[in-house]
Amino acid sequence: MTRILLSDKLDNCVARWRKAGLTVIGPVKKETFSSYATVENAAEFDLGLVMPDRSIKGLFFPQTEPMVHYSIKKQAIETRDFTPPSEKRIIFGARPCDASGLAIDDPLFGWDYKDDFWFQRRNETVIVTIACTKADDFCMCTSLKLAPDSTKGSDILLRPLQNNRGWQVEELTDRGREAFKEIADLLQDGSEPAAAVAVVPEKFNLDACVAWLQNPENFDSTFWKEISMRCIGCASCTFLCPTCHCFDFQDEGDTFTGIRRKNWDSCSFALFTMHTSGHNPRATQSARWRQRIMHKFNYFPGKFNVNSCSGCGRCSRQCPVDMGITETLQAISTLQP
Amino acid sequence: MTENIQTAHQNIYKPAIMKIVARHDEAPGVRTMKLEFQNPAEHELFKQNYRTGMFGLYGVYGEGESTFCVASPETRNEYIEFTFRQSGRVTTALANSDIGDLVTFRGPYGNRFPIENFYGKNLIFVSGGIALPPTRSVIWSCLDQREKFGKVTIVYGARTVADLVYKHELEEWERRDDIDLVLTVDPGGESPDWKHRVGFVPTVLEQAAPAPDNCIAVICGPPIMIKFTLMSLKKLGFDESNVYTTLENRMKCGVGKCGRCNVGSIYVCKEGPVFTAAEVSKMPQADL
Ligand SMILES: Cc1cc2nc3c(=O)[nH]c(=O)nc-3n(C[C@H](O)[C@H](O)[C@H](O)COP(=O)(O)OP(=O)(O)OC[C@H]3O[C@@H](n4cnc5c(N)ncnc54)[C@H](O)[C@@H]3O)c2cc1C
Ligand code: SF4
Ligand code: FES
Repeated sequence: MTRILLSDKLDNCVARWRKAGLTVIGPVKKETFSSYATVENAAEFDLGLVMPDRSIKGLFFPQTEPMVHYSIKKQAIETRDFTPPSEKRIIFGARPCDASGLAIDDPLFGWDYKDDFWFQRRNETVIVTIACTKADDFCMCTSLKLAPDSTKGSDILLRPLQNNRGWQVEELTDRGREAFKEIADLLQDGSEPAAAVAVVPEKFNLDACVAWLQNPENFDSTFWKEISMRCIGCASCTFLCPTCHCFDFQDEGDTFTGIRRKNWDSCSFALFTMHTSGHNPRATQSARWRQRIMHKFNYFPGKFNVNSCSGCGRCSRQCPVDMGITETLQAISTLQP
Repeated sequence: MTENIQTAHQNIYKPAIMKIVARHDEAPGVRTMKLEFQNPAEHELFKQNYRTGMFGLYGVYGEGESTFCVASPETRNEYIEFTFRQSGRVTTALANSDIGDLVTFRGPYGNRFPIENFYGKNLIFVSGGIALPPTRSVIWSCLDQREKFGKVTIVYGARTVADLVYKHELEEWERRDDIDLVLTVDPGGESPDWKHRVGFVPTVLEQAAPAPDNCIAVICGPPIMIKFTLMSLKKLGFDESNVYTTLENRMKCGVGKCGRCNVGSIYVCKEGPVFTAAEVSKMPQADL
């Protein structure tokens, strides 16, 4: 026997959570793109998407976010700190790759100096993930040693029922249990079997790729030039990626009053590393693409013991020139270590 | 070598407010400013954490923040001095700031020169142009406890006489008999009354020929000077692990999050900016 949540109870659940003061968020299709967005009722969800176009990242690390408000008076600077507004949220229908992406970035935002803009949102958000029963040609979680039903980063895992009437409920964390207490009477016991998870074929041999990347000689390989020749440096992949975390600060305002903002930035841009002297350590697009791959599969795991990729495949799916992590790692798989 | 520090703020990106209490023009476009903390708690934290070699993000609200080393030594932590060349947006705003004006500071960040490992050893400082500030912080940190070190040699060069920074301190060091000061300017950069060397720093260093035994070298300068100075030190028999230098990659956060300062797997803001030459030579050279 397992606990079951039936789809026709979902609207009640949304109402309950909202009544309990939670902001309810889930996959929503908009006119031009899909994303995780706030809903008022369950009808707004689009739970049939393989995954929303935009990743979950922006809900924790917004595209732009105020850090400090300043106003300068004669001989005085007044500042007002922004901390993210306290807001309890529940994300219903997260994808396992998106939830994993958050867990991947936790150590980065936490090492030594703790970025509370990230952690306050992490601590106040319940993540209810639905295991994937369908995938598309770009999905590659299995290549990253994750799975269509990974629990990493999730508070609750829901497994779709074979008969399509609802989900089996797996409570993973106290935060998840707490949120599901609100809807305890809407759940029921059942023995309906769960549907099979999506089949996601392995696209490349990660260990072989990592071994190649770790060999210092390959840093200067001509491979980097060849593979990145068509990259136009648009940075779409980094913005869509659930784990890419680079940012910039910009002051918005004038000499007297304004806001310092933290904005998404990207290693794909030439200006990202350019010194004022004009010297640029990563002066070419190939050096920048090498940085992105090395960072995800060599440097980041070296520091935090986890690859900075959860296999969502958005980078390849939405790249305007059809390149991405998959294409690159597939090519690396064929090289001699 | 990284020290664990959390600032007093919950918001790690919110800087401390500092008052400019003195400023000094060093060379054309190069200025030193002396800053004082306005908040005693922030000052206390700085005093606890600051060690020579660390850097900070200095800012002007409305313009942004820029990275400079703390040029004052750890032995004098009542204030912060930094020296900068006016070159872009933030440095222009700083250059336009006057005594009494308020600016911002985040830090101290990064690692340090492990000077307690230098006790009992001879020291040679080699620097070029506007890169004297980081060296000067170590120099004073050592001179303020002079008895703990052996022979101290300072080799400093600039393109022209006008480009030498900290001229008043150079004079002071020259007068002291417990320091060997070797000053040089590039050929053509000398003035009629210049009584020191003429020649590039690496050449002059080779002529000064410091003995490598029991000696630590600290070199800071433009990349090209560092490259040739390292070759000279190698020729003189210095082991790469006894040679220290600093890297200056572009930074924004200073705390290992914004993702831009790395050379290979090394985050310069966290694991640097101080490295031994042995550490630098292990980095992917194309990323420097
Ligand atoms: C650890 C370290 C110590 C440094 N110490 C000194 C010093 O003591 N004196 C000095 O004159 N300069 C120093 N620099 C270089 C100095 O940071 C840049 O020259 C300065 O940031 C230029 O700022 P700007 O806003 O006027 O220029 P802009 O070109 O307008 O700068 C725009 C942005 O780019 C960043 N930036 C540009 N170039 C660099 C760079 N080389 N390093 C880091 N950030 C950069 C700035 O922080 C700024 O946010 C140091 C750099 C580092 C990393
Ligand atoms: S690198 Fe690509 S596949 Fe990996 S997490 Fe980022 S967007 Fe997804
Ligand atoms: S300066 Fe942001 S990561 Fe080093």
